[in-house]
Amino acid sequence: MNEQNHKTRAPVDQRILQLLNSSVDGEINVVDQEELDHFLATSQSVRDLNDELRAVTRVLDELPEIAPPKYLQDTIERQVRLPAQSKGAGEKPGYLGNWLSANWLRTGFALAAGVVLTVGVYEMGSGPIPAGDRSSMSGTIASNGGLLQQGELLDRIFLESEVLIGQVELRTTKDLFTIDVQLESDGPSEVVINFAGRGLEFDSADSQQGTVDAVSVVDGSIHLASNGEQHYVLNLRRVPGANYPESLELEFFANSQLIQQNELSTLQ
Amino acid sequence: MHKDKDAALVNECLSGDRRAMSQLVSQYQRPVFNAAYRILGNMDDAADATQTVFLKVFEHIADYDQKHKFFSWVYRIAINESLNQVKKRRSQEPLDDGQASPWQGPAEALDTKRLCNRVQAALMLLNDDYRTVVVLKHISGCSYQQIGEILQLPEKTVKSRLYSARQLLKKKLQNEEAENKGADRHE
Repeated sequence: MNEQNHKTRAPVDQRILQLLNSSVDGEINVVDQEELDHFLATSQSVRDLNDELRAVTRVLDELPEIAPPKYLQDTIERQVRLPAQSKGAGEKPGYLGNWLSANWLRTGFALAAGVVLTVGVYEMGSGPIPAGDRSSMSGTIASNGGLLQQGELLDRIFLESEVLIGQVELRTTKDLFTIDVQLESDGPSEVVINFAGRGLEFDSADSQQGTVDAVSVVDGSIHLASNGEQHYVLNLRRVPGANYPESLELEFFANSQLIQQNELSTLQ
Repeated sequence: MHKDKDAALVNECLSGDRRAMSQLVSQYQRPVFNAAYRILGNMDDAADATQTVFLKVFEHIADYDQKHKFFSWVYRIAINESLNQVKKRRSQEPLDDGQASPWQGPAEALDTKRLCNRVQAALMLLNDDYRTVVVLKHISGCSYQQIGEILQLPEKTVKSRLYSARQLLKKKLQNEEAENKGADRHE
């Protein structure tokens, strides 16, 4: 082939295409490479094709590696049950292990969740709400399974103390922040979520698992008192016109002792 | 992709050693996540897929046939899981971009992030078979033989799919470039 005669690209046969691709992928033997070198030396069309192919592969090869979310490894490890562990006689499946199925079913549940029941008393489970708290509460509480965490994951924290384990996720959709709290405690526990001064208002709460003895909203803080395995979802809504919040403060108590303090970042 | 080391870790996992499990997760979560991300085109979906992949891996680790490479097995589960999610959530977000194509103009003038978005968008336009081989080759760095093992396809088919996929990708990027140029002329 004489390159001087190829002002428009001449068709390139399958053999040459195969050689070009193998060469670009670094999977060509010496004999085939020599054959390809000959085509490259004698044909502008082959050279053009080679350049284009290398440009495509270079772009693909240079796509940056994406760092997985920081929580991912921890989340996976918490959920994995090894075969030898699963064979333990009468072993309890474990709360965090159970959460896996909830995660799998998240989309399905979200679709299924239809009606949010609005009630006048902000109580979940059987425990009473302190009378002094009631006057300061506003919002809705759904029946079990009515609300599920959705939206972009903003932050996640883990608890791993002797008396209190679990995780809290913060997600957002539009002007709503959803806090998904999953805890397992050996005794009475309380979570306090402070959103005061952040341009947020309490929207709704839902108990997904177990019972929550009391939910109260006082002076820009949500107080959740519980015992044992718990999974609840809280929604805070942005006040129109307010500045975007930077974080929420959380405090975790078990047996009336402060166990852990954290901030959940609301930044996207 | 350390066959002997992986085999030892797998055996330790079978004995219930969670440190071995942690090592395997640590070793493979990044490549699995990246492969899933390039197939799904979405970080949250990729994270969900990665979680599911490892849960399946360890749920079925007793069934893993050690005649095969562990990474091939993990990747096979990862690809299948990612493709399952694609089928479930066919919602692809078109990526808005007006930059030059990769083979036009000086490389330093390109906005890398936008270029990556354009390539990712073009990848998402490929069919699942083509996208999968491109991801395994160019994101996961697998050889023809390894891709064949993972997808359980003859090497010849892998090559053929890869060639076609890259041709299509090139055309999609070139078409997009032509559209952008046309739009510029009308402005």
